[in-house]
Amino acid sequence: MSRLDEFPPGERRIVEAGRKSIGVFRVGDRFYALNNHCPHQGGPLCLGRTAPWVRSTAPGDYRVDGDHALVACPWHGWEYDLATGQSFLGPGEPPVRTYGVSVGAREAGREPGPYVVETYPVHVEDAWVVVDTATRGEESA
Amino acid sequence: MSAPALTGWVDTDVHVAPAHLDVLAGSFDDYWRGYVVDAGLALSPTQAGAYPPAAPTSATPQARAAGLLPAAGTVDALREALLDPAGLATAVLSCTSAFPVNRNPYYEAALTRAVNDWLLGHWLAAEPRLRASIVVPTLDTRAAVAEIERVGSHPGVVQVLLPVRTDAPWGNVRHRPVLEAAAAHGLVVGLHAWGRVGHAGTPSGLTHTYIEDYLTNSQVAAQAQLTSLVAEGAFAAVPELRVTFLECGFSWLPALLWRFDKDWKGVWREVPWVAGRPSEIVREHVRFTTAPAALPQDPARIREVLELLGGTDALLWASDHPHDHGPGGQWLLDALTDDERTAVTRDNAVAWYGL
Repeated sequence: MSRLDEFPPGERRIVEAGRKSIGVFRVGDRFYALNNHCPHQGGPLCLGRTAPWVRSTAPGDYRVDGDHALVACPWHGWEYDLATGQSFLGPGEPPVRTYGVSVGAREAGREPGPYVVETYPVHVEDAWVVVDTATRGEESA
Repeated sequence: MSAPALTGWVDTDVHVAPAHLDVLAGSFDDYWRGYVVDAGLALSPTQAGAYPPAAPTSATPQARAAGLLPAAGTVDALREALLDPAGLATAVLSCTSAFPVNRNPYYEAALTRAVNDWLLGHWLAAEPRLRASIVVPTLDTRAAVAEIERVGSHPGVVQVLLPVRTDAPWGNVRHRPVLEAAAAHGLVVGLHAWGRVGHAGTPSGLTHTYIEDYLTNSQVAAQAQLTSLVAEGAFAAVPELRVTFLECGFSWLPALLWRFDKDWKGVWREVPWVAGRPSEIVREHVRFTTAPAALPQDPARIREVLELLGGTDALLWASDHPHDHGPGGQWLLDALTDDERTAVTRDNAVAWYGL
């Protein structure tokens, strides 16, 4: 979908693959690809802000933990893990549907939410960034 | 509202007030006795408009007939008007006379000390059914902590009473030592309706009618304070902190907490120490007295409100004597099961205040 040297860290591309719109994100040297469709109400998820996790041990204590790992839908702010597509809710709120995602994913008081965005493997091949939409695309078709 | 008819209840908001500043003069040192005279200070009989004499909300007909405005000033008057006829096991006293004091922080400290000496010396020493909420200065955090340390270990003291209207919300970090001191002494922090004179009751500015002012306590000030305490991490910083909202209502909770939970999911990053749903934090750390109870009359609809509240665990019975907020509190009791009524009128308060 792009030459590697034309896709610097911190940027994203929205690409069309058949009828699908897919957001590809470069965070440092890692690439993530998600379906550009928020499972909540169909918003353009991949146009939203990305952000890192923030940890806290007490009021006034903030610690940014790692690189940007979340993208928030611009419509209602639902946040999704860039790597797994998992949404997050508060603790004690069971997901409406369960998915094969580890329950150990509880983060900063938040537990996996009801939604999982479709994600796609991204590879770098011969200086090109390649998004593999075949595997899961075929499954969902 | 009529006094509760069963024996053994705990009334968590019973007002008392010194009839005149002279009642407290014995607790002032020479400087403050002179200051009071020189400045022409008095205790406001309406508590600066909080309880206008003719407003139906200011006193029940019985309390009005007995002359208990703004509140009972002697133990005998309170026994006759409430403790004996209601057969109360315990009454937690609220004295809000120092809330509308002037802005001199040193006078405020002297006045709150005097009120506490009066509560312990005049009331608790004379009547074993009584427990006290102490008052503390709101303009000087260190003085407030010192006052909690001075009288907070008295066995009859169960609560530190703070006005729900303040210069800065109680969750603000500048107030944290007061909350810490209360928790360290095993005391509940009570946020009670009304507060400082000249303070805008609403964020949109000063009100100029009593009805706006009255509604502000429950519909604006209390909700802002509750939001502040949770969002600013007061309960995260002071895990033992317990807060009671007095004379501020409770039926507004479901709407506030639904929105609070929802928005927290989106903007949690700003308050990462809020490590759980706000509604869960409130459920664990906060209680509400039952007067005023803004409720529909139909018991079936009251059950719907209780369902939205998640039950009756957060409710503490209060007559709010001598004030009169209408029959909502009685409607609430009428809609409860026997077990729920026992919890609301006694057991919840016994557990919360360690009675």
